[in-house]
Amino acid sequence: MKRLSDLEYLRLNRFQKFLYRIAVFFMGIPAWFCKLGKKIWEGIKRFGIGVKDEIFDIGRTFKNGSWQTRVSYLIMGFGNISRGQILRGLMFLLFEAVFIAYMAIAGVHWLSKMDTLGDVGAHLEYDPILDTSVRVPGDDSFKILLYGVLTIFFVIAFIYTWRLNIKQNRIADEIIASGKKLKSAKDDLKSLVDDQFHKTLLALPLAGILIFTVIPMVFMILIAFTNYDGAHDGYSNLFTWVGWDNFNALLSSADGNSRLSYTFGEILSWTLIWAIFATFTNYFLGMFVAIMINKKGIRLKKLWRGILVLTIAIPQFVSLLYVSRLFASNGIVNSTLMDWGWIDSPIPFWTDSTIARIMVIVINIWVGIPYLMLVATGVLMNIPQDLYESARIDGASGFQQYTKITLPYMLFVTGPYLLTSFIGNINNFNVIYLLTWGQAVADPSLTVNGTSAMRTDLLITWLFKITQGADSDYKLAAVIGIMIFVVIAVISLIIYNVIPSTRNEDDYS
Amino acid sequence: MSAREIKKVRRHIGMHAKKTVANTAIYIVLTIMMIVWLVPFVCILLESFRTESTYMVGYIIPKEWGFDNYISLLNSDFPKWYGNTLLIGLVCAVVQTAFVLAMSYCLSRLRFKGRKGLMNLILILGMFPGFLTMIVLYKVLSGINLTGANAPYGLMLVYCASSGMGYYVAKGFFDTIPRSLDEAARVDGATRLQVFTKITLPMAKPIIIYTILTAFMAPWGDFMFAKYIAHNTSAGYNVAVGMQMWLNTPQNTFAHYTEFCAGGVLVAIPITVLFMLLQKYYIEGVTGGAVKG
Amino acid sequence: MATVKLTNVKKVYGKKVVAVDNFNLEIADKEFVVFVGPSGCGKSTTLRMIAGLEEITEGTIEIDGVVVNDFQPKDRDIAMVFQNYALYPHLTVFENMAFSLRLKKMPQDEVYRRVTEAAEILGITELLMRKPRELSGGQRQRVAIGRAMVRDSKVFLMDEPLSNLDAKLRNQMRAEIILLRKKIDTTFVYVTHDQTEAMTLGDRIVIMKDGLIQQVGTPTEVFDMPVNLFVAEFIGAPKMNMFPATLKRDNGYTVSLYGRDIAVTGAKADALAKAQVATQAITLGARPEHITLSNITNPSAIPCTIEVNEMMGGELHLHVVAPDGNKIIVRVQTISLTEQQRNALTCGATVYIAFDPKAMHFFDPETTGNLLV
Repeated sequence: MKRLSDLEYLRLNRFQKFLYRIAVFFMGIPAWFCKLGKKIWEGIKRFGIGVKDEIFDIGRTFKNGSWQTRVSYLIMGFGNISRGQILRGLMFLLFEAVFIAYMAIAGVHWLSKMDTLGDVGAHLEYDPILDTSVRVPGDDSFKILLYGVLTIFFVIAFIYTWRLNIKQNRIADEIIASGKKLKSAKDDLKSLVDDQFHKTLLALPLAGILIFTVIPMVFMILIAFTNYDGAHDGYSNLFTWVGWDNFNALLSSADGNSRLSYTFGEILSWTLIWAIFATFTNYFLGMFVAIMINKKGIRLKKLWRGILVLTIAIPQFVSLLYVSRLFASNGIVNSTLMDWGWIDSPIPFWTDSTIARIMVIVINIWVGIPYLMLVATGVLMNIPQDLYESARIDGASGFQQYTKITLPYMLFVTGPYLLTSFIGNINNFNVIYLLTWGQAVADPSLTVNGTSAMRTDLLITWLFKITQGADSDYKLAAVIGIMIFVVIAVISLIIYNVIPSTRNEDDYS
Repeated sequence: MSAREIKKVRRHIGMHAKKTVANTAIYIVLTIMMIVWLVPFVCILLESFRTESTYMVGYIIPKEWGFDNYISLLNSDFPKWYGNTLLIGLVCAVVQTAFVLAMSYCLSRLRFKGRKGLMNLILILGMFPGFLTMIVLYKVLSGINLTGANAPYGLMLVYCASSGMGYYVAKGFFDTIPRSLDEAARVDGATRLQVFTKITLPMAKPIIIYTILTAFMAPWGDFMFAKYIAHNTSAGYNVAVGMQMWLNTPQNTFAHYTEFCAGGVLVAIPITVLFMLLQKYYIEGVTGGAVKG
Repeated sequence: MATVKLTNVKKVYGKKVVAVDNFNLEIADKEFVVFVGPSGCGKSTTLRMIAGLEEITEGTIEIDGVVVNDFQPKDRDIAMVFQNYALYPHLTVFENMAFSLRLKKMPQDEVYRRVTEAAEILGITELLMRKPRELSGGQRQRVAIGRAMVRDSKVFLMDEPLSNLDAKLRNQMRAEIILLRKKIDTTFVYVTHDQTEAMTLGDRIVIMKDGLIQQVGTPTEVFDMPVNLFVAEFIGAPKMNMFPATLKRDNGYTVSLYGRDIAVTGAKADALAKAQVATQAITLGARPEHITLSNITNPSAIPCTIEVNEMMGGELHLHVVAPDGNKIIVRVQTISLTEQQRNALTCGATVYIAFDPKAMHFFDPETTGNLLV
């Protein structure tokens, strides 16, 4: 297909334009993948060149460096200390000492066990003193993996620090050669509140993220490649590497796995349906409510808004748990309707899976509208009034103003927000769990290893149940977690590439 | 009056009538909405004063009124849960705010090597379900005895440590402060730290309050982490987990339903009051955050 | 009070974008230097490098003989006025002006004395208790200048300080800056895109384009002897007219333009002879005010058609079209015309224009350089 020039495009009628744009989008996909591939390849190449440069630089620094620099290759911080930068030097030295001590005492031990995750679990052994068999602890796969990961992170940190130490020596050599003065400890401390201020600010938050998010995440990704579950708990029954087996089990429909992959497929598709409905019903209804409240001539704006905002403040677990009980089979709604004689038997709000699915979406609207109303009000206030004035002069009716100005503006401005709230809904644990838990019934056809899921379960609540279930199937939980990541990453990538305006940070203003 | 003028007047009256009809329709819709939104909360309040039975009944207005439910709350573990949650909320309000401000200011105003990479890394980390880390963290925390009855401390640690990842809204705010203010202050002789404390922070009051408010409110609603870490030890529950336990089986519901309502009222009141006082800042943060993503 | 010296300064953004290149300039003590050029020419970047707000990719900057490349802005002892004023919105005018002094831990008496003194000079004493948002644009501008004044710093930097003001206020503030400069008497570096500001304020003007210095000189020098077409067109308003022409050398010099020969006489002819310029194609430059209206009897006058007649009050700007379609602006003093002559200057009428040989500029069409430089 031929690309049209701007003027040719403008000659098309509305329908042709639409077709043309769809065609362009789909034709762009291969090119996009090509570009992605190229980018990845360039990234790898850059990384390779970077590593080569680093190694080359390390070699050159050794060749050209002073004797202090050379000694620093073995004794970190020696160069700093001998040049009078005592504080820096001592820190390097201390780090090296700690690292060597740790590796000697524990690190090497853990690393050496990483390939099998332990050989002998807890077992019975004959104790000559007690003259009976006693249970002695053996390896602990969990600990081996955890300490193994920690040790790897530590090694990476050490290599980085070692490189830094060499770089600093080179720079120091250069500074001395140019006849300038080296930075003193006082200068170093001063720069931490000035040109190195980002280090001061980021130190604690990043340490927290590293220890409590990154390392556990790496650990859990690795768990997806093991057989860690209730039966292989790691100390009485060791777990070990199983490669891609868990992923194969989840994705293949071969017999024996069909139950698992069926369940996964069902829950995944419901998760996506839920996320789409939850996001867009809230979005459009919230906007609708905002427009109603903000309409010219409507009085008591503050009151309407205030009541809705009030409901945001009340913790969700109170409102959701209570509302879920309102619709229980013996709840107020059913009792009232029966009293009035409208129905003879209770409506199965939660026990019928289709009604339950509709219920969670409807109640989610109830939860979400106040929030969306706030967002929409904020955006509406920002739409320049002269747009409406000029539209009115151009002869647009109220409805046309809405479709031609309000809606496009809202969508344009809140595009990134829609994406985030879509992702939030994929992982919306609270609404589903608090509403359906103990109310809806599990579907036996969604049973995996003795844990049955409900038709309203999302991937995230399913994951939670699996870890809480009798079998504590951690490996499966890890695999599902990775699948959630994949789903979110794919959706984000598509949306980032479809919406032109997502995030444009103005760097140099 | 000419025919044309009459037509004009008629049209005018017609438009007016149309407007009135539309507005009346809107008032009706809004009124119905407000009833739908408020009824559950009114119900919960009314049921919390019911003394003739403790289970779910088919009516709303109590036949006998009294504070029995509130009194029995005091004799349950509820005060302990309440204290736990309050403590977590207060600590988070302080530590999380500090972390979020440091992180967002840094990523918004300072330029350093690896900044983009760091932001991408956090974006990708955020795509993993956070609960996944809980499985490991539970083991680690239980190793240092911060689970079960000590769960509030474990939770605090977990919430605060990873709070730096939620920097987006605050960064959006800082991005709107003109860069030239920082530059002027630096030319005037301020270090970056002084720019932060003397220029940026005093101007960031709305976002500071927003961050404190959300950090304080989040632990009241968190259920998943709290339940996982507390692990069936009542002393370590927060209100959400504890009160959910009252409704988790038919027997419990039978015994504790009205108590749940009373507890819900006690949890909702202080938070709602705080929220209503500070809602201006909350709305600013929410709308600003949404617009900027 | 200090000298500023820039040697081979270069600024590269990212890896490729060269913002400033090969910048060499010595600014004398108490001199007022103006950087001027179109947007994106690197003038602000250069100023910000002097201030320490941008890193210097290559070269050195010295203030008072000290290389300041690695200095933080706070250690350079400079004061700066920003384009959008950059007043701290949460502080009063007094505290805004006192901000830098407070950071230096100056005693309260001294702070008070300096701030009130500066406020007195700028006429903003009544505003000291106000917050910036309660001030008008002009008042904010004064506060921004006051904030820089109290510092007594070595160098005073101004980054397009007047461009956010409306035309009337801008003229007024420009005059005030000239007065102010007499009072403060320190080294000034002033950035603007407005050639009028550059001409009226600067002791010397640095004209920049695409990151490169085009010309450095006093206002008179750059006006009378622009080194190339760019400078010629940039300085002066309305801009200089350009004609494709031929310069012929025989006994003297004549310019051949639209089939007419115009003799070059006086100083320009001597200069051409001195530079030994041969017969060649040139671009002839003539400022609108150096073109006069002549009549059909003048053999070297060029017939043109009036397209637009702008009545500015004291003068007329005639937009005329030359025989080859070249558009030319002619500036005519209104007072020099009779009523009848003025009425004849209607759209579509033909006028004859002549050149003042003293004020012709000769450029090489290839290199765009001035043949006399």
